[in-house]
Amino acid sequence: MNNSVKIAVFLALSYVAVPLALGSNTYVIGLIVAALTIAGIAVAWALLGNLGGMVSFGHAAFFGVGAYVSALLTLRGGWPVFPAMLMAGVGAAIASVATMPALRLRGPYFALAILAYAEIFRILATELKPVTGGAAGLLSIPRLPNVLGLDFGSKLGGYFVILTIVVAAMAAYHLIRRSAYGLALKAMHDSEDATRVVGVNSIVLKAWMLMVSAFITGMVGAFNAHYINFLEPDYAFAGQWTMLAIVSAIFGGYRTVSGPLAGALVVYLVDQLAFKPILPQGHQIVLGVLLGAMILFNPGGMMSMLTAKFLRKEASHAA
Amino acid sequence: MIDLVAQSLFSGVLSGAYYALIALGLALVFGTMRVINLAHGELVLLGAYISYTAEEKLGLDPLASLPLALTLVVATAMAVYYLISLIKTDRELNSLILTFGIGVILTNAVLMIWSADIHSTTTPWYHDATILFDTLFAMQAELVFAALGIVLVGAVWWWLEKSWYGRALRAVASNRDAAKLMGVNPQLTEVLSFAVSGLLATVAGVAIYTAKVIQPSLGHHLTVKAFIITVLAGMGSVPGVLLGAVLLGVVESLTVTLASSALQELAGMVLFLVVLLLMPSGLFGRAKRRG
Repeated sequence: MNNSVKIAVFLALSYVAVPLALGSNTYVIGLIVAALTIAGIAVAWALLGNLGGMVSFGHAAFFGVGAYVSALLTLRGGWPVFPAMLMAGVGAAIASVATMPALRLRGPYFALAILAYAEIFRILATELKPVTGGAAGLLSIPRLPNVLGLDFGSKLGGYFVILTIVVAAMAAYHLIRRSAYGLALKAMHDSEDATRVVGVNSIVLKAWMLMVSAFITGMVGAFNAHYINFLEPDYAFAGQWTMLAIVSAIFGGYRTVSGPLAGALVVYLVDQLAFKPILPQGHQIVLGVLLGAMILFNPGGMMSMLTAKFLRKEASHAA
Repeated sequence: MIDLVAQSLFSGVLSGAYYALIALGLALVFGTMRVINLAHGELVLLGAYISYTAEEKLGLDPLASLPLALTLVVATAMAVYYLISLIKTDRELNSLILTFGIGVILTNAVLMIWSADIHSTTTPWYHDATILFDTLFAMQAELVFAALGIVLVGAVWWWLEKSWYGRALRAVASNRDAAKLMGVNPQLTEVLSFAVSGLLATVAGVAIYTAKVIQPSLGHHLTVKAFIITVLAGMGSVPGVLLGAVLLGVVESLTVTLASSALQELAGMVLFLVVLLLMPSGLFGRAKRRG
């Protein structure tokens, strides 16, 4: 199967088959929407991790900023929801500029500097009571609207919106990776110093990746705010968003475009359907186990594992 | 006002003592393995909860629970070491993600075993107040564990400076290959650094259980604090870690006194970013590039 067929099948499945089969089951659709929300952050995280070569422990920062920007624009500024969501992406990208001094840090230093930013943003959102409503949060954030007879405010409508965001993010990931930027980024991953020598400005490239990643994450945060209609700082900036995204991206394989999505679906649904009912407290232990096992035994993740299996099969057929 | 500031400086120094224990463990492991153990705070937490169970179920004084807590926490630290040693490629990033996962496992294990309630010691003696120099107030637990903390940091410092194993550990930290050629077994020093880090974490855990309150989400915060301190300290200096820990403790408690307790974490984070971004070798460390 070549790629365009694969993409067509994926789009048909996700836009037609899933809504037809599960559309009437609001519980299942609700779970899938939550998984896709995680998937959106996971794709953004993977883009930065794979193309920028940086592990972030603070993507909750961009998620929270996006959520607040969109919620405030619609609540206080009277903006329509969809333009406000776009601005949320822009707002998160601007917030990412504040974190850019951290780009010259390496490995653990960058990872934890971003975490510090997330904490600072959370505390600011709590303290700036006149703007954000403080710890009490924002209530009755406008729901997603009715457009041309389609009710995006319903569970199924929300599904289409977040699915589109995730698909667009995956397309962006794919296109950037294939572009000249992608080549430079790949070279940078192999040897940053050598890449600098041949005239690639690695800091600028990383900064772009950080902005794109923040933009996507901010849009996802905004979607979530309009989907659940409620925000508070501890929720919007919760470490959970980062943690679930990392587990999903690593489990699925963050160097592949489909990995973060597949990872988020498997990880979130297994957690919610299989483990939450039997272990009401501490069920996320399973996520830790999945993450640890994957990084130890197959750092490439689930999708690379499946691809390898598939290739082996084809090879044995050929032989 | 002067009294208030003096009191918060004093409380900050007392917290600094157990912060130093946590940060020193993190720094030791980073020194030998180049691995930031993101599950380090969870080891502290584990020590704290074992002490709680020992007091609750066996009626042991927190100090008397140390041998039990030490055994279990050091064993867990060894398991963490073993898992990290399984990593074959790209150790810097993969170990970060692996230990992050181990942290999630330990936090949730604590949540499962001990539930989300908060606990502190029920031995009243520890919470009794002592007044020093007529004005400075401290809980007895704070004094006991600050003293123990400083003694332990001193002991580790002496061990690293004077003993054969301590020097071997420093040798591996500064140049692994050269140390190997001199007949040092790097694996042994890695195991040692993890064991000592587990030991220090246990004492810190018991200190937090007696002088503060414990709850399952604490582990992650402690890891971050420990990392902040190692950044303040700059790598490779034991007195630096102690100073960094005291500095963080003092900044936090001054923020609480002069501004509000809601801003306590903010002060630490801002201090961290300022030092991280503007002073590449930390406040007290030898010059070393992080970028």
